[in-house]
Amino acid sequence: MQLDTKIPGGPLTEKWDRHRFELKLVNPANKRKFDVIVVGTGLAGGSASASLAELGYNVKTFCIQDSPRRAHSIAAQGGINAAKNYKNEGDSIWRLFYDTIKGGDFRAREANVYRLAQVSNNIIDQCVAQGVPFARDYGGLLANRSFGGAQVARTFYARGQTGQQLLLGAYSALMRQVADGQVTLFPRRELLDIVVVNGQARGIVARNLVTGEIETHSAHAVVLSTGGYGNIYFLSTNAMGCNVSAIFKAYKKGAGFANPCFTQIHPTCVPVHGTYQSKLTLMSESLRNDGRVWVPKNPGDKRPPRQIPESERDYYLERKYPSFGNLVPRDVASRNSKHQCDQGKGVGDTGLAVFLDFADAIKCDGKDLIEQKYGNLFSMYEKITAEDPYETPMMIYPAVHYTMGGLYVDYNLMSTIDGLFVLGEANFSDHGANRLGASALMQGLADGYFIIPYTIGGYLAGTPLSEINTSHQAFVDTALIAKERISKLLSVNGNRTVDYYHRKLGLIMWEYCGMTRNDHGLVTARKMIQELREEFWENVIVPGINLNFNQSLERAGRVADFLEFGELMIIDALARKESCGCHFNEAFQTEENEAKRDDDHFKYVATWEFKGDELEPVLHKEQLAFENVELTQRSYK
Amino acid sequence: MNWLTNTLWSSVGKKLMMAVTGIGFSVFLVAHLAGNLTLYAGKDAFNAYAEHVHSLGPFLTIAELGLLFFAVVHIATGATLFYQNFKARPVRYSVNSRAGGRTIGSATMPYTGLVLLLFVIFHLANFHFADKTNTTIFQIVASAFLKPEYVFIYVVAMIIAAIHVSHGFWSAFQTIGANHPKYMPYIKGASILLSLVVGIGFGCLPIYVALMT
Amino acid sequence: MIKTINLTLKIWRQETSGAKGQLETYHASNISTDMSFLEMIDTINEQLTLDGKDPIAFDHDCREGICGMCGAVVNGRPHGPEKGTTLCQLHMRHFSDGDTVVVEPWRSRAFPVIKDLAVDRSAMDQIIQAGGYISVNTGGAPEANTIPIPQDTAEMAMDAAACIGCGACVASCPNASAMLFTGAKISHLALLPQGKPEAARRALAMVSKMDGLGFGNCTNERECEAECPKEISITNIARLNREFIKAGFFSSIM
Ligand SMILES: Cc1cc2nc3c(=O)[nH]c(=O)nc-3n(C[C@H](O)[C@H](O)[C@H](O)COP(=O)(O)OP(=O)(O)OC[C@H]3O[C@@H](n4cnc5c(N)ncnc54)[C@H](O)[C@@H]3O)c2cc1C
Ligand code: HEM
Ligand code: SF4
Ligand code: FES
Repeated sequence: MQLDTKIPGGPLTEKWDRHRFELKLVNPANKRKFDVIVVGTGLAGGSASASLAELGYNVKTFCIQDSPRRAHSIAAQGGINAAKNYKNEGDSIWRLFYDTIKGGDFRAREANVYRLAQVSNNIIDQCVAQGVPFARDYGGLLANRSFGGAQVARTFYARGQTGQQLLLGAYSALMRQVADGQVTLFPRRELLDIVVVNGQARGIVARNLVTGEIETHSAHAVVLSTGGYGNIYFLSTNAMGCNVSAIFKAYKKGAGFANPCFTQIHPTCVPVHGTYQSKLTLMSESLRNDGRVWVPKNPGDKRPPRQIPESERDYYLERKYPSFGNLVPRDVASRNSKHQCDQGKGVGDTGLAVFLDFADAIKCDGKDLIEQKYGNLFSMYEKITAEDPYETPMMIYPAVHYTMGGLYVDYNLMSTIDGLFVLGEANFSDHGANRLGASALMQGLADGYFIIPYTIGGYLAGTPLSEINTSHQAFVDTALIAKERISKLLSVNGNRTVDYYHRKLGLIMWEYCGMTRNDHGLVTARKMIQELREEFWENVIVPGINLNFNQSLERAGRVADFLEFGELMIIDALARKESCGCHFNEAFQTEENEAKRDDDHFKYVATWEFKGDELEPVLHKEQLAFENVELTQRSYK
Repeated sequence: MNWLTNTLWSSVGKKLMMAVTGIGFSVFLVAHLAGNLTLYAGKDAFNAYAEHVHSLGPFLTIAELGLLFFAVVHIATGATLFYQNFKARPVRYSVNSRAGGRTIGSATMPYTGLVLLLFVIFHLANFHFADKTNTTIFQIVASAFLKPEYVFIYVVAMIIAAIHVSHGFWSAFQTIGANHPKYMPYIKGASILLSLVVGIGFGCLPIYVALMT
Repeated sequence: MIKTINLTLKIWRQETSGAKGQLETYHASNISTDMSFLEMIDTINEQLTLDGKDPIAFDHDCREGICGMCGAVVNGRPHGPEKGTTLCQLHMRHFSDGDTVVVEPWRSRAFPVIKDLAVDRSAMDQIIQAGGYISVNTGGAPEANTIPIPQDTAEMAMDAAACIGCGACVASCPNASAMLFTGAKISHLALLPQGKPEAARRALAMVSKMDGLGFGNCTNERECEAECPKEISITNIARLNREFIKAGFFSSIM
């Protein structure tokens, strides 16, 4: 495997312009001769499908849900960043670029991040034109708020439903292309494998989730935008269907997997409250703009929060980080919650929670204003917990939320398999070791609306592609392997359900490869996963048949992949002998318990190459060059 | 099909026809009631009113044909809607319950409508197509309401009419798109008022006539 | 303190789209009242699986009330008895020990059952395909602040845009009409200046598509508004009617 970043030369600010000029163009009349498969209909896949179809490509779009509108992007609450500087606070493309690079703890590529900041403004223009109802000021102009670790208000939002509104925008553009016949839609399909012919991605094998049929589809290029894999932890803020399967299959077919261990744990989620629980709910980070985080000063203090006097409370974020206070980046906030709970200061029945208190905000701004800002979040909290956050502080605890790791891509967003492009959360590209709030939506839409339409053209125009269809042997063989695996899953017929294994795997990952890690734990975890995987294949029970709607079978396939992929995450975490962003190895911390990077040895993207089921993956390093920013120790004091 | 039939035969168009004809009936009802209130002023006033109406000549015929046309449209469209709506849910729920949107009026529109149709035929046969030689309209009315079963039928029919318009009136506004947060409460109020006026105004007439004669 | 309850469930089971279905009875014991309704079905499914039986199929994904994937009719109420709540956000604390709970799929000619509680809602996508968009290609958009939109207009558009496309309005409507869903989309776009150029074409096309898909006709029963988990108002249906009548009679579209 050769890593070639394909970053264009020239000054940072001109790279993208220059690259767009240098990319070969597909003659407009020829575009309809090219078929493109897009897997995933979140912000990344939805926007890519629509934009490619508008250009004239024949697009086939796949998703697991019954409608493309239900991709998990729909759940994003907080907002989307752009460097519009509408607030006159001195924001700029450069500042957004710098914040994102720094927020990622200097583990992302300068050129990609700068391009992201550049197109951020076009995204807002595009979305407004599509009819996305962003929040507005009285004068009718767009409103902004500050969000997660940024000192300028650059976040655009639509109540607490920004992801939903952006996705409905992309979905509507996609539906327009479906009506025009430019996109053929394949909902309720799950990608089972990628078909590679002569080293080029030429199609996919998918299962029709309603009939159970195995289908093959060919194309000239394949775009994966299948989202993140946070679900490996079982409990996460991800939707139930989120999976690693698509990108993991691509990895096994030769695509490098970059930084798999970089997982973001979001600080403000509703805490775990029972063993039956199926997922965790995010409480938007925007709550930290007005809520104050605290725990009792004395460990084991079980008095109700309102009875604990001010003098016995520890507003630990405000105390430790006077300049950022409650608005420190996610990784810092999360680790601090864990740290407090580890000292026995956690609150609630489980002791695994901290308070997020709005009493002062309500006193100062009035209940009405707080309700206006956070009403829907408060009522969501009340629905889940049956507690009224206007009266008693919320309890929150960190939960797995986002995966910065993903398939390795070059500047064109192409993986190490020719013709296999990867967009959105599924790639590793822009967030380094930690993602800033409101930047995933930005990245998904940047990739889909403004990057892939150019770069895929460059590939298609400049690459000789043989004429093939699904009767090609590679399709037949790949489909056969997929079928065999399904038969194998159905035939184990053991004594434990799929969820049992998923839950167990999740606990292992959370315990040993979660907010903090150490080498000993990681080694233990790896062994535990291997054993669990073995047991899975001997003792899992998958009811029902293949040729029907079979949700247990769907889950079984995904969990089987997680059971393999978990090991890769651990291998990656073990190999990175430093702490950076969300990857916090206890052996590497500053005196103030902050992540301590080792730029001399680990300033690289760790890209793993699959060598075979029984063999260790091989590490390839893309050394990151920082020519425009100075590497600093992040400090939010 | 052309734009007109396309528009009218759409679901919204059919509703629009229901609304326009329904509002037409409502206007007719109010006018009819206003006229009938002369009954309370005694037999001469009522006969004079009837005569006045009949003296309108061709205008009356036009109005009657208009009403008939409205009736045909209202009934044919209503029947189509009922059939289509019935077919839209081939498998029914085994448990039915309401969330508070439905009212007796809204839930029974086709049935109250059907009863009204039967009543209108009955009513026309009684009074409109009655042999009016050698008698006055008041006498016809008075003798009809001497029979308790007639009084009963008329009173029940008027209660049913009240139920029908209690939903129909505001619903017609919603159908033509006139739902504004500032005005809807008044329209709903008017709906209830109209149904009370129809129910009480018409409902008391047969009783009054019966008691008087 | 963890409180638990026992329930008798009658759940619609139907092997495939064409098969005949029926209600089957299950007993759920020791259900924590902190569970969501879907987590309660999860526990039944775990047991069914261990017993070698076929678990109950039901659609769900986000489990936080936003994707619109979940939904079933619980004791005659789409998404259950709580107002403004999706099934995934309905918690068992709203049920009492010993309750009998009947769970049925969305019922509508336009939503054929796929299996058990899962139905095919692709008809809703088809309505959107007919015109639920603004025709702008990527790249051609003017600067975002070029056209100011009064805040209350933007808020009204957002109220309508909040629809999650779950189909509860259809399920709750005595006529299985999709007017609330369609009205919400038409309203969202008609309110915004960006959506106005296509408003007439959109209203005609979407209504005509909706009619062709087998949904019933709205008779203003208002059950949809009462059951909608996002509490979308029927003023949006009135706006649809207005837009449609305007387009049908006064626009130049034939
Ligand atoms: C609760 C929550 C809140 C968030 N809030 C914010 C926020 O405020 N701001 C922000 O910037 N970011 C936020 N994020 C992150 C952001 O929402 C996601 O990173 C982003 O939306 C991912 O988009 P995507 O297009 O890459 O993938 P997704 O939206 O996850 O879409 C994945 C698509 O791939 C399909 N798919 C997956 N696997 C397969 C397969 N095997 N076969 C076929 N299809 C498949 C799915 O069906 C789906 O269509 C939030 C995330 C969560 C979970
Ligand atoms: C005095 C006579 C009548 C009056 C004043 C009247 C009035 C109305 C009004 C105002 C509506 C509301 C239209 C809308 O919702 O947009 C309506 C609806 C309806 N009417 Fe009548 N109507 C009368 C007679 C009848 C008759 C004889 C029938 C016989 C079948 C009938 C059947 C219906 C039905 C089925 C509806 C419901 C349609 C709907 O809600 O979409 N009506 N009526
Ligand atoms: S209008 Fe309400 S009930 Fe209907 S699909 Fe939208 S969210 Fe669901
Ligand atoms: S599962 Fe997404 S709305 Fe219920």
